[in-house]
Amino acid sequence: MELKLANHSSYPRIGDTPEGQLLRRTIAQREKGEKTDADLRAAQDRMTELALAAQLEAGLDVVTDGLIRWYDPVSHLAGKLTGIHINGLLRFFDTNCYFRQPIVEGAIERTGPMVVDEFTFARGKTSKTVKAVLTGPYTLARLSLAKDAGAAQLNSLIESYTRALAAEVAALADAGATLIQVDEPAILKHPEDFALFASSTAALAGQKKNAQLMLAFYFGDVAPFYSKLQALPVDALCLDFTYSVKLPQVVAAEGSSKTLALGLIDGRNTRLEKADSLARQIEQILAGIQSDSAYLTSSCGLEYLPRDRAQLKLNHLKTVKNTFLGKGA
Amino acid sequence: MSREKLRQLGIDLPVLPTTSVGSFPKPDYLMKARSEFAKGKISREELEQTEKRATEFWIRKQEELDVDVLVDGEMYRGDMVAYFSEHIAGFEQGGLVRSYGNRYYHKPIIASEVRWEGPITVDWWKYAQSLTKRPVKGMLTGPYTVMDWSFNEAYPDRKAACFALAGEIRKEVQALVEAGAKIIQIDEPATSVRPEELPMAIEAMRLVTDGLQAYFLTHICYGAFEFIYPQMLKFTVDNFDLEMSNSGLDMLDLFKKDKYTKDISFGVVDVHSHVIEDAPVVEQRLREALAVIPKENVWVDPDCGLKTRSVDEAIEKMKVTVQAAKALRG
Repeated sequence: MELKLANHSSYPRIGDTPEGQLLRRTIAQREKGEKTDADLRAAQDRMTELALAAQLEAGLDVVTDGLIRWYDPVSHLAGKLTGIHINGLLRFFDTNCYFRQPIVEGAIERTGPMVVDEFTFARGKTSKTVKAVLTGPYTLARLSLAKDAGAAQLNSLIESYTRALAAEVAALADAGATLIQVDEPAILKHPEDFALFASSTAALAGQKKNAQLMLAFYFGDVAPFYSKLQALPVDALCLDFTYSVKLPQVVAAEGSSKTLALGLIDGRNTRLEKADSLARQIEQILAGIQSDSAYLTSSCGLEYLPRDRAQLKLNHLKTVKNTFLGKGA
Repeated sequence: MSREKLRQLGIDLPVLPTTSVGSFPKPDYLMKARSEFAKGKISREELEQTEKRATEFWIRKQEELDVDVLVDGEMYRGDMVAYFSEHIAGFEQGGLVRSYGNRYYHKPIIASEVRWEGPITVDWWKYAQSLTKRPVKGMLTGPYTVMDWSFNEAYPDRKAACFALAGEIRKEVQALVEAGAKIIQIDEPATSVRPEELPMAIEAMRLVTDGLQAYFLTHICYGAFEFIYPQMLKFTVDNFDLEMSNSGLDMLDLFKKDKYTKDISFGVVDVHSHVIEDAPVVEQRLREALAVIPKENVWVDPDCGLKTRSVDEAIEKMKVTVQAAKALRG
């Protein structure tokens, strides 16, 4: 069993150093007309490079672009589709971060790539596996508001977002993405919608080509869903272990035919977990897994932490892995 | 009936009393002073004098507008959690984290056992109350919200951190009561986002308020009230201050289904919009409230703190709030 280290998704786009302030400063100056769009892109590029450097320094096998260019996990994607107006702020699940809510006013259509350019930029900066990340259709639909009575049906919204995201999955695969993560935290709050969600997932999986498709679940207890998740036509599952004391036992008991990404490092709290305690959990969990590899990662994206603490969490992945392997910290 | 409790506390309010949630925008001169203080150009004492000037401005303005229960406007606070974390031992200032878009804040870290070291808000409350004969609310952030909006490195879990904070925040409430505050608001805006933790938040509020003689309010906003109502009525407070207008008054449907049993500070203007609502719009919102909740139990205020609006917008929003209440007093 190979245990690979992976970044979950996002990375803080701000730090306390002057360089860490580059993007915030540039955005503010762009809003005042003091900087150009090219300046903004250059700042985003630089912060992406810094996020990649942090992940490489931590010895990760799988990195992301840190979602540095994302205004939030919802409007960054929905705002690139037709038929959608981006509205006011709403809280993103139980975090103290806010997203701009999409208001669906017409037919949702994908008119071009959504994150392909971002993936391509990051892939050009490292030889490590770059994981592409998308917020999934079910979660986008759940966090949108439909004005039109026809589109108000959740089913219809999910189908529309699914068509758009499936095309993006195909485009990412064509662009060379070998691992595509689709975040679907919203389903944990709505078990009654699982059939709709499963159908949406199957449509995405149908477009993944040679890429591995990973579903990510966080901000809720995955344990009650675990058996059903194993039946989905995806290659990998990324699970948040911080919301459920039962999940390690459930996974150990039921096993997994899929590659698992173990979200054991808390991406929401600065405290560093005891490495030996996590190593024991990994041992327990992996005992039931048939796959020949697994990922160790954080419970969610790291943008909820200050940058210095996010770096410590990334570094901690290696410490925990070494402890698990009996190499000590 | 909470009005009887108010009378026992020596406070007689009109029908449909008006108030505000807590924060008002900082005048330009205070923003400039805060910036200069951050750069080391002025002293703490000079900043405090400017904060007092701004506090007096808002007290006078509320009196002019004929608001019944006043607030100090929180001129001395940056953020509602960071302020308390800076004054309770055990906290460290964390690095920047994103709130939304390009907005960031320093999220506190509970680094060791929390400890109340002395009054935090009492002098500000005394100062504000000294400027007016009208009652001024004591204003605090509640333990659940302070816990939820901080990192926790000191306690084994969220509940332990929350209850430890409750014990310390209670001391601040006691100090306010001893100083003479009769109306105390303990804000818990984080309450509504983790419904499964509602019992924790309720117990924490009980720990804060139990046996203390004051009329208690709590402000809750943002969240999925359908998951915490009617259970939230178990909070040991007399009055829920709720964001109603921003959500199209949809909480009234919940109140129709399960009777609302406390006083309410009913938000009649949206604080997230620059638009000043017309008087008829505000009055209609209030009429809809009165169709569901007895007039005797209704206070009238904006949805939330007005600190994100301009000074002029905040004044206009308060003006239309007071006008609506007066129009419907009958």
